[in-house]
Amino acid sequence: MVQVVIPSILAAQAEGRQRFDVEAETVGEALRALPVADLLLNERGEWSSNLHVYVDETDASERGGPACPLTGAREIRIVAALSGG
Amino acid sequence: MAIGVLALVGTRWGLFTLWGDNDRRGWRVDGPLLDGWGVYHAMVDARDGTFYAAANHIVYGPTVQRSADGGRTWQRSKKIGLPEWSGLTVNAAWHIEPGLLQQPGTLYLGADPGLLFRSDDAGETWEPNRGILEHPTRDRWFPGRGGLCCDSIQLDPGDPQRMYVCITAAGTLRSDDGGQTWVPVNNNVAADYLPSPYPEVGQCVHKLLLHPARPERLWQQNHCGVYRSDNCGDSWERLDGNGLPGGFGFPIMIDPKDPDKAFVIPEKSFEYHYGPIGRLAVHRTRDGGQTWEEMSNGLPQPAWATVLREASAFDADSLYFGTQSGSFFALADGDTWVEVARHLPPILSVEVTQWSR
Repeated sequence: MVQVVIPSILAAQAEGRQRFDVEAETVGEALRALPVADLLLNERGEWSSNLHVYVDETDASERGGPACPLTGAREIRIVAALSGG
Repeated sequence: MAIGVLALVGTRWGLFTLWGDNDRRGWRVDGPLLDGWGVYHAMVDARDGTFYAAANHIVYGPTVQRSADGGRTWQRSKKIGLPEWSGLTVNAAWHIEPGLLQQPGTLYLGADPGLLFRSDDAGETWEPNRGILEHPTRDRWFPGRGGLCCDSIQLDPGDPQRMYVCITAAGTLRSDDGGQTWVPVNNNVAADYLPSPYPEVGQCVHKLLLHPARPERLWQQNHCGVYRSDNCGDSWERLDGNGLPGGFGFPIMIDPKDPDKAFVIPEKSFEYHYGPIGRLAVHRTRDGGQTWEEMSNGLPQPAWATVLREASAFDADSLYFGTQSGSFFALADGDTWVEVARHLPPILSVEVTQWSR
C-alpha cells in the first residue's frame, strides 16, 4: 500500500480528498488508480514536464517515470512545478 | 419576479459569475469558481440551464467542466482525447457551443490543435470530428500566438446540416452535411503575413458570428481586417475605414435584432494589443459595415487595454466585454459603459444569459 498526496487544486477535482491509499507496483499504476488520473497522464500515459512526482523524496522521472517501481515505497507526492512572475 | 443578466466571466484564475440588475447598473460579483483554472470560455446552455466551462491548466491540461446547480458543484467530462494514429494531443479546450434546440444533449467543443469535438450525452464524452481532424489542408494550417485554436463554432438555425468553424490560422471552414465534410470559405479574406496574401487556407480568424435572424450573413474580426459575408462565406467584403481606426482586433459582437449592426474593439496593430493612442473604444456600424462610429462614453481614457477574442458578449439589449487588466464593462441605457468590476484576474471570456428568481 502506498499513499498518494495530490496538490490542493487537484483535490478540488476529487471531492476535496488530498490523500489516497492505493495498491500498485509502479508509479503509473498508482496514478491511474486516482480519480484525477485524466489530469495527470496524457493519452500516452505520460505526465507533463511541469509535474514532479516524488516517491519517498526521490524524483520518479529519474527512475523510469511511470514505470518507476514502488517496492517498499510509502508515499508518492505530486508537485506542480509552476514559476513565473 | 426579478429578472436580470448573468455574465459568466472566465479568467486566467477561475470563473466569476456577475449578477446584474435589469438596468445593468447594479451588479453582484461571485467567485472564483473552478479556482486556479484558466477558463477560456464558459456558457449557460439555454436548453437546460447547465453551466459549461472550457477550463485549462498549464500542468493538468484541458478539461470541460459542467455544473447543473449554478456552479456550486462541477463534474469533469471524461478525458478529451484523440486517436493515437493522429499523432496529436489536445493542448487546450477553447470554445463550447450548444447544439440547436432540436438537438438536446448535443454540444460542440473547439480545441487546440485545430480540433472540433461533438458530445451527444450533454458533455459527458467527446468525439473528435474526423472531417476536421483529417482535413486535406491541415498541413497548411499553422498556430498563432494562442496556438492552433478553434475559437468559433456557429450553427445555422435554419439548416441543421450547415455549420462553421474557425481556426487560427486555418481560416473559416463550412460544412453543409452536418459536419461530415468541410470546405474552406475564405474568398477575399487576406492573410498578408503569407507569401500569397489570399490563400485557400491560412487565414487568421479571431472571431466569427452568424446572424441568427439572417443566417446567410456572417461577420468576422480577422487578424487582417473586419469582414462581412452575405452568402454563407462564399465571398467576403472587407469593411475597414469609414470611421474604423484600424482593422486589427479580437472580438466582434452583433445585435440579434438587427443584421446590419456589428461592434468591434480595434487595436493599434498585431504588434500593439491596445487601442490606437491608448484609446479604449467599441466601434459600431449600423449599415452593414459601410460606416463606423465610436462608442466610448463611460470608458476610462487612456487605457492600454487588451480585449481577447472570447472576452465580449451581447444580448438583445446590451453589450459586454472584459479586459486583460481585469475590468468588466456593460453597456447601460444604450450608450453608456459601466465598469461593473475591476481587479479581476485577466479576463479570457465573457458570455451572458438572462436570470430570474
